[in-house]
Amino acid sequence: MSSALIADITAPSVNYYMLAPILIVLGGAVLSVLVEAFYPRESRRSAQIALVLTTLVVAFLAVLNIKVDAILGFTIVNSLAIDGVSVFLQGLIILSALVGALLISENRIDPLGDAFAAQSSALPGSEDELAFTERGWYQTEIWSLFLFSVGGMLIFPIANDLLTLFVALEVMSLPLYLLVGMARRRRLLSQEAALKYFVLGAFSSAFMLYGSALVYGFANSVELGDIAKALSASAANSNLMLVGGIFILIGLLFKVGAAPFHQWTPDVYQGAPTAITAFMSAGTKVAAFGALLRVFYVALSGLAWDLSAVLWAIAIITMLVGTIIGVAQSDIKRMLAYSSIAHAGFLLLGVIAQSKAALDGSLFYLAGYAFTSLGAFAVVSLVRDASGEANHLGQWAGLGKRSPVIASVFTLFLLALAGIPLTSGFVGKFAVFAAAYEKGLAPLVVVAVIASAIAGFFYVRVIVLMFFTDASGDEVSVVVPSFATAAAITITAVVTIVLGVIPQPVFDLLSNALFLK
Amino acid sequence: MVIAFWICAALAVFGALGMVFSKKAVHSALFVALTMINLAVLYAILEAPFLSMVQIIVYTGAVMMLFLFVLMVVGVDSSDSLTESIKGQRVPALLGASALGVILIGLLGNITMTNIGFDQAYVAYDGNIDALAGLIFTKYLFAFEATSALLITAALGAMVLTHREHAEKPLTQRDLSVLRFKSGNHPGSLPSPGVYARHNAVDIPALLPDGTMAEISVPKPLAARGAIRLIDLASKDEVQALNRGEAVITSQSTDRVEE
Repeated sequence: MSSALIADITAPSVNYYMLAPILIVLGGAVLSVLVEAFYPRESRRSAQIALVLTTLVVAFLAVLNIKVDAILGFTIVNSLAIDGVSVFLQGLIILSALVGALLISENRIDPLGDAFAAQSSALPGSEDELAFTERGWYQTEIWSLFLFSVGGMLIFPIANDLLTLFVALEVMSLPLYLLVGMARRRRLLSQEAALKYFVLGAFSSAFMLYGSALVYGFANSVELGDIAKALSASAANSNLMLVGGIFILIGLLFKVGAAPFHQWTPDVYQGAPTAITAFMSAGTKVAAFGALLRVFYVALSGLAWDLSAVLWAIAIITMLVGTIIGVAQSDIKRMLAYSSIAHAGFLLLGVIAQSKAALDGSLFYLAGYAFTSLGAFAVVSLVRDASGEANHLGQWAGLGKRSPVIASVFTLFLLALAGIPLTSGFVGKFAVFAAAYEKGLAPLVVVAVIASAIAGFFYVRVIVLMFFTDASGDEVSVVVPSFATAAAITITAVVTIVLGVIPQPVFDLLSNALFLK
Repeated sequence: MVIAFWICAALAVFGALGMVFSKKAVHSALFVALTMINLAVLYAILEAPFLSMVQIIVYTGAVMMLFLFVLMVVGVDSSDSLTESIKGQRVPALLGASALGVILIGLLGNITMTNIGFDQAYVAYDGNIDALAGLIFTKYLFAFEATSALLITAALGAMVLTHREHAEKPLTQRDLSVLRFKSGNHPGSLPSPGVYARHNAVDIPALLPDGTMAEISVPKPLAARGAIRLIDLASKDEVQALNRGEAVITSQSTDRVEE
């Protein structure tokens, strides 16, 4: 009976060249697991680094190979959408991952090794841990986890149905939960951060899953396009759609770190190894905002009016929480974490505005923010004292006199985060705010500008601290990094300036960036 | 069907509440099993036999057994610490949860649903399992494949967090024994004090067969304090006589010998 029926199932057509970046990255991740299993320990680390960098470069070439102006489309029965936005975001995620990989590969700045525990299964402070550290072992599994996470990030913003979206969310997050807990220094803090991230992340994805089920009840489909159709067609059971839509948004807003779902951000950013914080702050933000933009522009635009009050409130709270609580921080990583919350608030304006200009602005903003934030955290990892990173703001006093170059580069990143002209941050903010203003969101724009001004205060405070305050006497030094971190900081600084001075090529690139509906 | 739903739904909710409120971990686990079985019955009522069976096999069978295994390893009697690490969060959490519940009931209570999904599936594929196969291998092929990345990550993560390699090859019993003899210390267990002496007290050294004292038999702390009681030399002959079988111990006199 069933043999005839199996013949009825036609295999879906798979556009392999559209999927190439994802397949390459996930294939590389699997290879890296094999390297882990079969390579001798001495050469494992270099093999992993070579494999990861090659994979990412090849994946980037594969992204370039997808012609944005050619006819793009859905693949595997509409479960993935390859369009201008997804190509741009995938390219951006892979570039951030490349810079992130350079930072993760750093093993010069810490005399003990890289930023990760020599063996994360050894108890913190135990004799075992000491023995592994003395032998100079590395936990090389981080590279496989890193690639899996990048693979999830590549799927997340192009998922065209809620089921794929959920799986991508988990593929992206699960390796990050692990990586966050593997810091070499301050391991208990790192493990606590990982646990917090895991528990809250699981909680938020449960919300998203419940929301997807409710939306399925309304639309009889989890495909984004079908949901939009169902929204415009029928008003029956619209409560299902409203609650489901809000729950899905909760899941996505958690990932972008919008208030009041931001509680994990400062703790996780502080506890994670700084290289992972840098990668997360760029990659997760880009992937999650990509998914949020797609869900909102493609599926929920019919619900925009119902959701506007909620989204306005969330945007305003996010901007204010990010900036006002950010002012009170005394830890540089926590300060940058609150800054990332504030930036999520600014980016929400682009989500609410729902226009082509707002979409372009948001994507440009993401590109600028990703590189700036990578660079800022890279600099944070260089300022150290005997016990590890010197994260307390007081320890940064007088840094400008001792290491003028590093202090100047950090100033550049801070100015970009504050949105000062001639940096990428200014162009991004201007584009998003202008697009929001055009769509009649003037009150939100006013709040955003006030929040930017408050945020500017704490960025400038760090600059004043570095250049115009005398050192407090703590032995803090800027470590000379290896080529990898130096390259990462140079690349991010150059991108931050170039995007701020000549942004037009990127906007030209974005002219094709539209969502496939 | 409606009656069955209300019975199973009530039992499932009861199981969920019981899981949260029971103080013993084993009870919690069994309550989860109750909830899972009731969900399986609900799936069966909704004409999803495959899902129903998988629910029982995977959740009630595999996952619950894993939970119980872990509980056995941790120890059934160990109870969670019930002290609140965040003060005063209970009332706001309860209020928030009830508010969410009220909102959900209010908004979703008046939904009318028609069961059309399965009819469509059966028309297209003639059966539950065929329809599932149809969806997994066509529409959700990518999500299905991507799940494998999740499984690899989970396996890798479990290894990273728990598998402890050895910095050095661990010593075998043979290595340990070789080491013990090489060190030059007394290889076996030490002789107990008082053997062959007239007394059995710990502070009196044992006598070797030739009548000399085995100082090693007295615990080191006593020796360090100088609290060793030496037996008088006269007893040496007695011991030797004892050894030859010409004498028997008759008394347990405890005369102290001045050092």
